[in-house]
Amino acid sequence: MIHVYFKLAWRETSSSWSRFFFLFLCIALGVGAIVAVDLFATNVEEVILGDARALSGGDIELSWRRGISEKGQDVLDSLSARNLMISHVTELAAMAAVEPLGGKEPSTNTSSQLVELKALDSTYPLYGSVVVKPTQSMEHLLAPFPLGCHRLPCFGAVAQEALLIRLNLDVGRELRIGQANFIITAVLNKEPDKIATAFSLGPRVMIAREALAATQLVQTGSRIHERYRLKISDSTSLERWLGELRGRLGREGVQVRSFRDAQPRLRRFLDQLNLYLGLIGFTILLVGGIGVACTIQGFITQKTPIIATLKTLGADSPQVIGIYLTQSLVLGSIGSLIGGLLGMGLHQGLPLFLEGIIPETFPMHPTIVPIIRGIAVGMLATLAFSLWPLLAIRHVSPALVFRKDVDHTKFLVRGPSWITSLWSLIKDWWSDRMKVTVSVFMVGSVMGLAIWQAHSFSLGIFFSGAFVLAVLALLAGTTVLFWILRHVHFPQRFLLRHTVNNLQRPGNFTKAMTLAIGIGVMLMTTLTTVQQSLLDLIGNQIPSNAPSFFFIDIQPDQQPAFEKILEHHIPGAPYELVPVLRSRLTAINGQPIHPEEHKGKRNGWYFTREYVITTVHSLPKDNVLTQGQWWVDRTSPISKDPAKALSDLPSVSVEDKAAKNLGLTLGSTLTLDIQGVPFVVQVSSLRKVDWSSFSMNFFMIVEPGSLEGAPLTYIATARVPNTLEVPLQQAIVADLPNVTAINIGDVLDNIARIFRQLAMGIQALALLCLITGGVVVIAAISVNRYRRLHELAILKVLGGSRGLLLFSLGMEFGVIGGFAALIGLGLGCLLSVSILHVFFELTWTLDLPLLFTGLLLTILLTLLTGFLATYRLLGFPPLSVLRQE
Amino acid sequence: MELPAGNQTVKILQDISFDVPAHQVLAIVGPSGSGKSTLLGLLAGLDRPTKGSIQIHETEISSLAEKEMAHFRRQYIGYVFQAFHLIPTLTALENVALPLELQGVAIGEQRAKTLLHSVGLEHRLHHYPIQLSGGEQQRVALARAFISQPPLLLADEPTGNLDSATGDRIIDLLWELHQQHGSTLVLVTHDASLATRAQRILTLRDGALVDETAPPQSLSHSQT
Repeated sequence: MIHVYFKLAWRETSSSWSRFFFLFLCIALGVGAIVAVDLFATNVEEVILGDARALSGGDIELSWRRGISEKGQDVLDSLSARNLMISHVTELAAMAAVEPLGGKEPSTNTSSQLVELKALDSTYPLYGSVVVKPTQSMEHLLAPFPLGCHRLPCFGAVAQEALLIRLNLDVGRELRIGQANFIITAVLNKEPDKIATAFSLGPRVMIAREALAATQLVQTGSRIHERYRLKISDSTSLERWLGELRGRLGREGVQVRSFRDAQPRLRRFLDQLNLYLGLIGFTILLVGGIGVACTIQGFITQKTPIIATLKTLGADSPQVIGIYLTQSLVLGSIGSLIGGLLGMGLHQGLPLFLEGIIPETFPMHPTIVPIIRGIAVGMLATLAFSLWPLLAIRHVSPALVFRKDVDHTKFLVRGPSWITSLWSLIKDWWSDRMKVTVSVFMVGSVMGLAIWQAHSFSLGIFFSGAFVLAVLALLAGTTVLFWILRHVHFPQRFLLRHTVNNLQRPGNFTKAMTLAIGIGVMLMTTLTTVQQSLLDLIGNQIPSNAPSFFFIDIQPDQQPAFEKILEHHIPGAPYELVPVLRSRLTAINGQPIHPEEHKGKRNGWYFTREYVITTVHSLPKDNVLTQGQWWVDRTSPISKDPAKALSDLPSVSVEDKAAKNLGLTLGSTLTLDIQGVPFVVQVSSLRKVDWSSFSMNFFMIVEPGSLEGAPLTYIATARVPNTLEVPLQQAIVADLPNVTAINIGDVLDNIARIFRQLAMGIQALALLCLITGGVVVIAAISVNRYRRLHELAILKVLGGSRGLLLFSLGMEFGVIGGFAALIGLGLGCLLSVSILHVFFELTWTLDLPLLFTGLLLTILLTLLTGFLATYRLLGFPPLSVLRQE
Repeated sequence: MELPAGNQTVKILQDISFDVPAHQVLAIVGPSGSGKSTLLGLLAGLDRPTKGSIQIHETEISSLAEKEMAHFRRQYIGYVFQAFHLIPTLTALENVALPLELQGVAIGEQRAKTLLHSVGLEHRLHHYPIQLSGGEQQRVALARAFISQPPLLLADEPTGNLDSATGDRIIDLLWELHQQHGSTLVLVTHDASLATRAQRILTLRDGALVDETAPPQSLSHSQT
């Protein structure tokens, strides 16, 4: 029995390959997108898991961003005595200045550059290897150069090529960083413990630990990142070590991480990128599924005489459905296989959009599991979208073999109103057990695949719910269009009437075409609008008076010198200089905070982050007090309001969202750990902060006078005219080499560049969704090719010119494209409003030119697609068509 | 038997009642539109009567569910069409074996070969319908109708699409197979000379039975 299913399925397929071309394409595009993304995700997983120890730097990494407490230092000291191999790495941002060559200034006008400095000991790396050119040992490359520099101390340094390009340098040239000089001894090509380079403040420079000490960059309050990597000889004791170290160091602000959690931020970023791309790929597959349903429905309609014959020969409906379902699955598997190959091709194109985020050496090789997974998803989607049209086989009467006019389709009784029509539709659906089963299967498949694709139950449900809502909105919209076409009086011109009738004719797939185009338009609109808003935020919403430079790590004794440099180089330009302290939150209202409990939770970072606190006398200009009052004069009588009552504790003003997430109210107490010393403050006010002002703003501001004696450093902002940027930067580097200058414009440009690059990749995939929509339109038109051909032949015989017929077809596709675009644009706007509001807390702005361009482009593309699918029909001589009747 | 025509219904057959004894050859004749094919379709269970009953082999077929009717048709009824209705994507051999394959019978192909041999198409086993002449296609259809050895064979204008010489050869073959297999044969034709070869003739006009010869023993009873 199975044999006959396959035989008939294969014969039907092989006898009309061309008819199924678009079905293959519909499935292949969706599967291709899913496979490409899945292949990339597998590569990421392979790299991160395969090189986990190298990426993590060791079996266990202990890291912190501030001075370690005495207790923490004791624990670290005790480790060296316990048969462990330890590597100590310090990372910090610093300014590198070019030393003149033979007394001449460098040819480029940029002679200093913000770099990411990494100081290594001789055990680095514990796992993996550093790739440098020329190839030599790191110990040799970073060794002291007693005679090599203009001044001492002098060491070797290894730098990324980007630094050499930006400063127009070669290997062998000299740099000054802090109080030390360096000879560039090699170009750094690969760091074993870093994948992405795009998210850095500047190019990497590697130096020896003793060279770091010589630079004198690490001072009290400096912004540094200390990492201790441990190599454990007995791998079975990893969990025991983790447990012990977390217990002993967790309270000291030290992050204890095993190699299994290597590169958590990059991993999370790539996981989320893969998730978004995967869901877009899945949307493409769903749109392709509409094409599958159209093709199968059209095919079944054409095969009605054969179905009737099979029934007269004794085949029952399940048997005939089995035959054509087998055929659909054969078609789906071929389409999925093509999709697998397409996915391998698309996968190779992904690095174009991820330049800098993944290294050039990132292994982009295909693996078999994602391809098999993609094919399985394609087959399941084919099954889900074929079953519904195949159910029509049950209503094909065998009497068709002798009477063509048998009414084999089951029409619903049209009620007097749309409510009764809808009610009879629901009743009919509910009374048909098979339809209910297939509906449940379809919805279940879409939901199941969405959950699987999203790796999250709630996101999968949200996605499939949104998709179903979009489908319902598009279907409702088309129903409204039909209602308008039926009830609005159009001029009695034949071509218009013909177009209107064609749109509503059963089997014309107007709804399917609207659905396929509408979903593509919705996706493109959403992505473009969200991207525009975010780019606008990064690039255009910076106030004209925003500072252009940030200066960090200014020591208290350098304050006068720093101000003198600013006044000399940018006389009269506004600047702001404030003292800061770096701290970590350890308790709220006396209750200790356990950072591990908040990791991975939404807004959990409020509990685990480092807080830079400051003290100012008056409320900063971009801040608005929402609760409490600004510093109370402690000499005045105590307010009667208990919330305003003064305690002995210093007061703190907290940003309102931080307060909300931390559960703070007026009067709450906070315990902050400042370099191992607890500092308890009481909340006296809450502030709303305008972070988009790009001025210096703080989550926590403490009462003036309360930080006396604390290890303060200063940070500053200044608005520097473009022409004065380089001289100012050079002056700072020359006189205050430990002060780091960050050009906000450069940072924002870098963010915008990465964002644009990623957005282009995401939009390219979304464009594939629109293309799939176009393929669905062609598939739907091709299914009715013979009916249309016959109709055009009759119209030609009756005197219709080619131009008139072309106009009629154009009207039909124009209306479909225009209507689908209108609904798709509307849904896209709604979706982008929600995304901007919920995820980015941004206000959506109506971009009429963008929407209008979208509308015109969609109409144009639909016209073009429709024309491509029908222009050959116009060329057929009418007599040859009618003779075949 | 009534059929919908727009918003109204049209009576196709009415007040028809007859029995057909086993092994008899019955011809149904009448002008176009008299309801001959509809009557044959009702006997095959392809349509359902709006009133009345049809009994074949003591089975009331008008009350059978679709699946039961399909099963019954496989075992008891063979059907020959005017337009042959072969599956275009299957070869002659596969077309003939199809009814048995639908029943899950493994030896379908061997029996199909024997039958095609008996209708003189042993050299056309692997040809597709489009590669066969009209007469050859109808011979394949005859072989297909007999492969399940059905007790009742229904033929709807079997020579209607053929020239007279080919038509005569098909009728000879039909009679030969009917005698070999001992089936009851109900034949719809508008050809008077063909009808005279039957043992009994029913004449229909405007959906009503206007002339009838009573059979000696009863196989089926029909009332529409």
